[in-house]
Amino acid sequence: MENYPFSENSINSSIAFRSLVNATSYPGRTFQINKLNKPSVLSNAAATILITLCDNESNVYLSKEYNTEEVRNWLIFNTGAIISNKKNADFVIGTWKSLLPLNEFKIGVPEYPERSATLIIEETKYKKVKCNIDGPGIKNKLNIDLPNPELFIENNNLYPLGLDFYFTNDLEILSIPRSTKINIIKSEH
Amino acid sequence: MNEMSKNENLDIQIYNFAYLDENTKRMIRRALLKALCIPGYQVPFSSREMPMPYGWGTGGIQVTSACLIPKDILKVIDQGADDTTNAVSIRKFFQKTANVAVTEKTSDASLIQTRHRIPETKLKEKQILVYQVPIPEPLRFLEPRETETRKMHALSEYGLMYVKLYEDIAKHGHIETAYAYPVKTNGNYVTDPSPIPKFDNPKMNNSPAIQLFGAGREQRIYAIPPYTNVKSLDFEDYPFEAMKANFKCSICGSSDSYLDEIIVSDDGKRSYICSDTDYCKEQTKLNSKKED
Repeated sequence: MENYPFSENSINSSIAFRSLVNATSYPGRTFQINKLNKPSVLSNAAATILITLCDNESNVYLSKEYNTEEVRNWLIFNTGAIISNKKNADFVIGTWKSLLPLNEFKIGVPEYPERSATLIIEETKYKKVKCNIDGPGIKNKLNIDLPNPELFIENNNLYPLGLDFYFTNDLEILSIPRSTKINIIKSEH
Repeated sequence: MNEMSKNENLDIQIYNFAYLDENTKRMIRRALLKALCIPGYQVPFSSREMPMPYGWGTGGIQVTSACLIPKDILKVIDQGADDTTNAVSIRKFFQKTANVAVTEKTSDASLIQTRHRIPETKLKEKQILVYQVPIPEPLRFLEPRETETRKMHALSEYGLMYVKLYEDIAKHGHIETAYAYPVKTNGNYVTDPSPIPKFDNPKMNNSPAIQLFGAGREQRIYAIPPYTNVKSLDFEDYPFEAMKANFKCSICGSSDSYLDEIIVSDDGKRSYICSDTDYCKEQTKLNSKKED
């Protein structure tokens, strides 16, 4: 059993999914994910999202850092997911820089806005800009750091179309869905 | 894994945790997360046959099944009551297949599946409320074609719904719709709140809890995330009014909870009692403490 992603598949996947529900419901807040057996290059949180949600109907785009034999084999064996290009991807995994520009990913169509990509942003070494976020799931405006906030503003302007983001960092996950409104906090000089 | 789902004679596991298989759960889980990202939008999902008839909450139990974790404390209500057939069977179903703890107390529950009511007790953050939905499309009785209603949602073309409400006023002098009263979610999609009384509509607005909706026969899932603006449709000169029978509960005396009308004698004498049985119990307890 020790090579399976989860020690107890259906129990661990349910707990993982609850963290995803909470993260998606309360954008901008950090939620904890448990450890699992995964390829070394992936964070626990990113691997958890893929293993919990992907199956043989899911197209996954791996940016070049993550497109390794180990990741591909692990993902295909455990989920049956299809490794795809940017245009068709339902799930996207990569560092912030490697995924730019964002306009190659699908944003859904007016009749089916859910047919859009979910982006999983690994690592946190991007250039951070202080922002203030508001919208569904956010009680009082929250301050968080985002990379290139203008792209998130653009994404929110597409609402109800758009991309949905998860930021993953080891055992932590934070979501910025398309519904989140972003204000850049002007730094005082 | 969990004792109830094992057949000891055969030493095999009969059910996956919470009944549904992992592949189905993945499909439902993807739909649920997209639903949370697009508040009020109905995400199609390939609904499964469940071991109960359509109309008894097959959508609700699929959503609950996909969400349940072993340490959840589950509450199931039908029209506010914990002890009615539908609620009792669904609660038993998850006790058997997921071995979760159950409760009747709203404040103790981490996941509440409901048919046609929102509990009176205020919900908290991270509590999940799963609604059983018969007709998820609020425009369905006005426009039977799915291709058309989809376009209407895409274009935010809700004139027809306002005409319907206006016709209510023209005919009856007020908006006659008393349950499944349409709401606008996050200023965008017109959404069916499921057949809750319109008395409950304001509870959906800006709720700290996570509201998930499952329609099994119609194969749709939708969601209202916490702290989301949910506005009941109305007109400036005919504002929305949450209403209830203007009586007191004959058990606990509460005048602010939603009441069921019951006939108590052969000659048609009526009485009113809280529809939310847990709330009624709590109020009765509070009253007896006051008297002590």
